Amino acid sequence: MLVIGDAGAASQLAWLGAGTAALLVTAGMVAQSPAPVHAAVAVLGVLFLLRHDARLLLAPAYGAGLLVMDDLAIRTMELSGVGQIATGAIMARITATLAVAALGACVSAVAALAVTAAVPRTLAVTAVGVLAVVAAFVGLVILARRRFGSSLG
Amino acid sequence: MLALAGAGLVAALATGRPELALIALPFLVFAGAGVVLAEEPAVSATVEPGRVRLLEGDNLGTTVRVRNDGRVPVEVEVALVRAKHLAVSPAGTVALRVDARSEAEIAFSVRPGRWGAHGLGPLTVRARDALGLTTWEGRLGERIDLRVFPREERLRELVAPLRTQPFLGSHVARARADGIEFADIRPFQAGDRARQVNWRASARRGSLQVNQRHPEHSSDVVLLIDTFEEARDQASGTLDAAVRAAAMLARAHLGRRDRVGVVDFGGTLHWLEPAFGTTQLYRIVDALLSSDIAFSYAWRKVDSLPQKVLPPGALTLAITPLLDERSIALVSELRTRGFDLTVIEISPLDHISRGPTAADAVAYELWRLEREALRARLRALGIGVAVWESGGSLGPTLEEVNAFRRSARAVLRA
Repeated sequence: MLVIGDAGAASQLAWLGAGTAALLVTAGMVAQSPAPVHAAVAVLGVLFLLRHDARLLLAPAYGAGLLVMDDLAIRTMELSGVGQIATGAIMARITATLAVAALGACVSAVAALAVTAAVPRTLAVTAVGVLAVVAAFVGLVILARRRFGSSLG
Repeated sequence: MLALAGAGLVAALATGRPELALIALPFLVFAGAGVVLAEEPAVSATVEPGRVRLLEGDNLGTTVRVRNDGRVPVEVEVALVRAKHLAVSPAGTVALRVDARSEAEIAFSVRPGRWGAHGLGPLTVRARDALGLTTWEGRLGERIDLRVFPREERLRELVAPLRTQPFLGSHVARARADGIEFADIRPFQAGDRARQVNWRASARRGSLQVNQRHPEHSSDVVLLIDTFEEARDQASGTLDAAVRAAAMLARAHLGRRDRVGVVDFGGTLHWLEPAFGTTQLYRIVDALLSSDIAFSYAWRKVDSLPQKVLPPGALTLAITPLLDERSIALVSELRTRGFDLTVIEISPLDHISRGPTAADAVAYELWRLEREALRARLRALGIGVAVWESGGSLGPTLEEVNAFRRSARAVLRA
C-alpha cells in the first residue's frame, strides 16, 4: 500500500511520477505503440493515491481526465502516419470521447457516493466486489465475442 | 482500455483503495460503450479516374467515393494502392469520417512519371468505430489499368526511304509516272495524254515534249527497338527514350500513309507486321507500352525474325543505345543483307556518370572513344547513325541522318 507521510517527499514522488509518465508517453509516440501510453496512465492513476485531500470526490474527474488523455494520445499515434485528415474527423472523435468520459465520470461519481456510505470491509463485501468485477468483464467479453467473434482489437 | 479498467479494479480490490476503482470506472464505461456502439462496418468504396488513357506527366483527377451503409458513423483511413511510377497526391493515407448512410468523396491527383500500363487501386481501407476501439481492415474497389502514352514531339522531317512501295503515299518516288512533282521532259510518244504536253518546251524544241513526274508513293518502315540492354538512372533510362522515339516515328510515318511495323528485339522477341492506318498506330503504341528489358544470354540473328516482318525495300529504323554486342551485330548484319538501315542511337551518356577517381575518368573517356569508333564503323558500312540526347528534340537527329544519307547515296544503293 502506498502511504507517504511527508508532504515534501510526496510532492517529489508526484513530480517523479509525472516525469516518468511523460517519458512513457513520448516513448509510445516514438515507438508507435500504445502499451507505454497505457503504462503512463497506470502510473498517473497510482500517483493519485498520494493526495491527502478529498480523494474520493476527485477520483471520477481524475479518471475521466486520464481516459481523455489516453484516447488523445492513441488517436495522435493513429493519425501520425496519415497524409491528409478531412475536416471533422478529429473533432467528431474528441466529442465522442468527451461524452463517454463524462458519462464514465458520472458513473464513477455514483460509485463514489456508494463508497462513502461507510460499509464495513468484510469478506462477504470483498467477494461481492470480486464477483461484480468478474461479471462486468465476462459480460463485456461475451458481448464483444457475440458481435465480432474473436477479432476484437 | 479494457485491460486498464481491469487492472484498476483488481488493484482496488487488492489494496482496499476505492479511489483506484473510481479512476478505472470511466475506462470500463468507455470499453462498454465501445462494444455496445461498435458494429461491423458496411463500407464500400470505388475508384473513379477521370480517364484511363493519358500522357506521361499529365495530372489525372481521381475521385474516391466511400459509402457507409451502416447505422453508426465510421472513421475511415483510405490509401490508394498504386504502381511504382504513379505519384499520388495527397500521398499516403487520408483519414475521414463518414456519417451513417451517407457518402464521402476524396479527390486524388495522380501523375504518371513514365509511360506504360500502370495499375491504380484497389483501396486499402481501415475503418474504426466512433470511439476507435474496434478496427476493420480490408481492400475495397477494383484495380484500374491506366494506359500512359509517351509524350510526343511533332516531327516535321522524317528519314526519307531509299525505296518506295507502289501505294499512294507522301514520299516522292524516284520512278517516273503520274504524280505532282515535276521530274523531267521527254519527247512525245504514242499513248501520251495531251494534258501531259509541255507546250512551252515543245515550242522551243520544235517537237512535242511531255512532262514526266515523280509519283507519290508510300514506304514500308520497320521500327527496330533494342531491348537487350539499357542504361538507366533513377529518373529515366534509354528504353524510355527509345519508346518515346518509336511512338513519335510511328505516328509521323503512319500520318504520311506509310506501312509501319515494330520489332521488339531483345531477350524476348515481339513484332507487329507493317500495316497502314490509325488502328495500326494504336496497336503499335499498345505494343510499345509493354516493352521491357528482358535479360537473356541468347544470341539472336536476323534469321530469328519472320520474313514478313522485314519486307524487302523497307526502311529500317533501329532505335538502340548501342550497348549490347548482339544489337550491334544485328544492325551490321541487316546492312550487309542490303536493308535500308538507319540507327537512331539513344545516348546512354546522360544516364552514366563518370566515377570519382582519375582512373574512372580515363575509363569513361576510353569508353566514349570506343563508341565514336563504333559509330564510324557503322557509317563506313553505309548505316546512317545519329545520336539522340534524351531531353532534346528528335527532329535535328533525323536531319542529321538525312544529311548522311544524301552524302552517302552511292554507298547506300550498293
